[in-house]
Amino acid sequence: MSNNILKFAMNRNTSVEKINGGNLRSVCRLRDTFTDAEVVIEVKMPDMEICAISGYFRHAGWGEIEDLDRRLQAVMGVRVAAGMLKIIKGLMGEEEKIQQIVYMVEECCHGVILTLTRKVLLKAPDDEAGKVSFYSNMVKKSIRLYDRCAAFAKGTPLVAELEAEKAKGGA
Amino acid sequence: MFDFMRNKVVDVARLDRETLEVHGILDDSIYSLELCFKVNISDLICSGVKGRWLRWTTPECPRAIDFLHEAEGFCLKAGIDNKIHKTIGRKSCRHFANLFIECGHAVRETVKLLNWEAAQKENPEITFKQFMRNDETASMAESSPGMDNEKKELSSPSGTNKPSPKKTEHKRNAGSLGNPSAKKGKFVIDMHVHTSPASPCASDSVDAMIQEARRIGLQGICLTDHNYVWSAEAVQALSEKHDFLVLRANEIITEQGDILTFGFYENLQGITRLADLKKKVADVGGFIVAAHPFRGFLTFGADDVGLTPDSAMARELFKWVDGVETLNGKVTETENNMARDVANGLGLPSTGGSDAHDISTVGVYATAFDEVIDSEASLLAALKQGKYHPVVFR
Repeated sequence: MSNNILKFAMNRNTSVEKINGGNLRSVCRLRDTFTDAEVVIEVKMPDMEICAISGYFRHAGWGEIEDLDRRLQAVMGVRVAAGMLKIIKGLMGEEEKIQQIVYMVEECCHGVILTLTRKVLLKAPDDEAGKVSFYSNMVKKSIRLYDRCAAFAKGTPLVAELEAEKAKGGA
Repeated sequence: MFDFMRNKVVDVARLDRETLEVHGILDDSIYSLELCFKVNISDLICSGVKGRWLRWTTPECPRAIDFLHEAEGFCLKAGIDNKIHKTIGRKSCRHFANLFIECGHAVRETVKLLNWEAAQKENPEITFKQFMRNDETASMAESSPGMDNEKKELSSPSGTNKPSPKKTEHKRNAGSLGNPSAKKGKFVIDMHVHTSPASPCASDSVDAMIQEARRIGLQGICLTDHNYVWSAEAVQALSEKHDFLVLRANEIITEQGDILTFGFYENLQGITRLADLKKKVADVGGFIVAAHPFRGFLTFGADDVGLTPDSAMARELFKWVDGVETLNGKVTETENNMARDVANGLGLPSTGGSDAHDISTVGVYATAFDEVIDSEASLLAALKQGKYHPVVFR
């Protein structure tokens, strides 16, 4: 047995670009040992609603998904926002055969969110004290960040100001 | 020019007869990180989870590495993704969780390949397509697609999650309802409360939520568990047990987002088209409210993407709803303000609710009614009359 030879390999690339009218086009491409697939979505700004979608999916075992276009069109009009994952799954289906294409739609949407997140993060200062202040203010402005990951966990420095304000009844 | 790029690479090697070695890299415009671990082929249990950051954002992100060990012992069978989100995503970092999910998928695909290779030893002619068709048939026999495991395991607090066949309207004596000291002479109800286990995302029981609501001086709460219908009998029993007004509502997922329904007790599952929901609710004389219509993202909000109240008013969502939740405890002040401006602009009534998933946030926001509410019927009548407004309560 050659333990240095791969059994399985996967490459997934997601890219986002601005297109005409300020809308965003997000493309997710997947190539793995079994699969060659692509999903393209266009997101209308500033409503952040999916206004166009297309894609293809080829799997060595399953072949193509016969009703792929119908599945993809089901998410037209869905807003890229918190809670979108359950909506996308619910509209497209959750059978094993369809799971990867659903995930790719989600990845396209995450790409859009991360594109906008990146714009915010570019405003962060370079020095450590400035960063602490920047991210402390961020969690105060967006309470959903609080205790959502290790960086913003209860008792950590980035949430100290928020917790102090909470203790005083100010938040 | 691309504004954002994310690349993920996952590879799986067979270390020995029993073990797979998995290596994943996530590298995007913001983050760069790596994961590696081993998986036992026979039971898909992972071990030796290690990770490292190459690029990150906050000064505290490196702490995420300390929590990756939480994935030790995870069984990477299909359906593990939610657990990965809840443990690695919440305790460590959502980007490590994202990569871990990719790795899990890669492991399952590798096992298919190994099983096919094993099948070929018995039948050298079997193609991968034939093998997959057999595998699919076997999987279908084992599970019911379209239903996630958490829902399957959920036991109804009332013994059933089916709507009550008979709508038993119960009234409570307003004088004995919980706290008689209504703030500013109003009757204040938290219109948006989740409980565990009816809402898998909630962490406190219905009894705990009611006790807290009573303690802080609310006059009532509406149970809005996700796509979950409480029986009238169960809710009446809770009201009597706690001497407190407990009313049934629902939070239903539509393609336009979450919708709070009042006076509607059909047990809808999955995603319902908003137009269909509106018709169903209208047919039984109910009332629907757009829940947190501008709930945004972790680092930016609707205002940051250039959405204005005027442009937002044109959204399809607002053509169907009877009211708008303009104070929601899970969104930012800016997002609530946007909802308020849109509701005012469209002349739609506003409600408030905590959207509490644990006792610490019950009653943060609520709705103050001009009249005493003592039943689901009186709540529905008050909602339609528009004699209420959202309040900051706690």
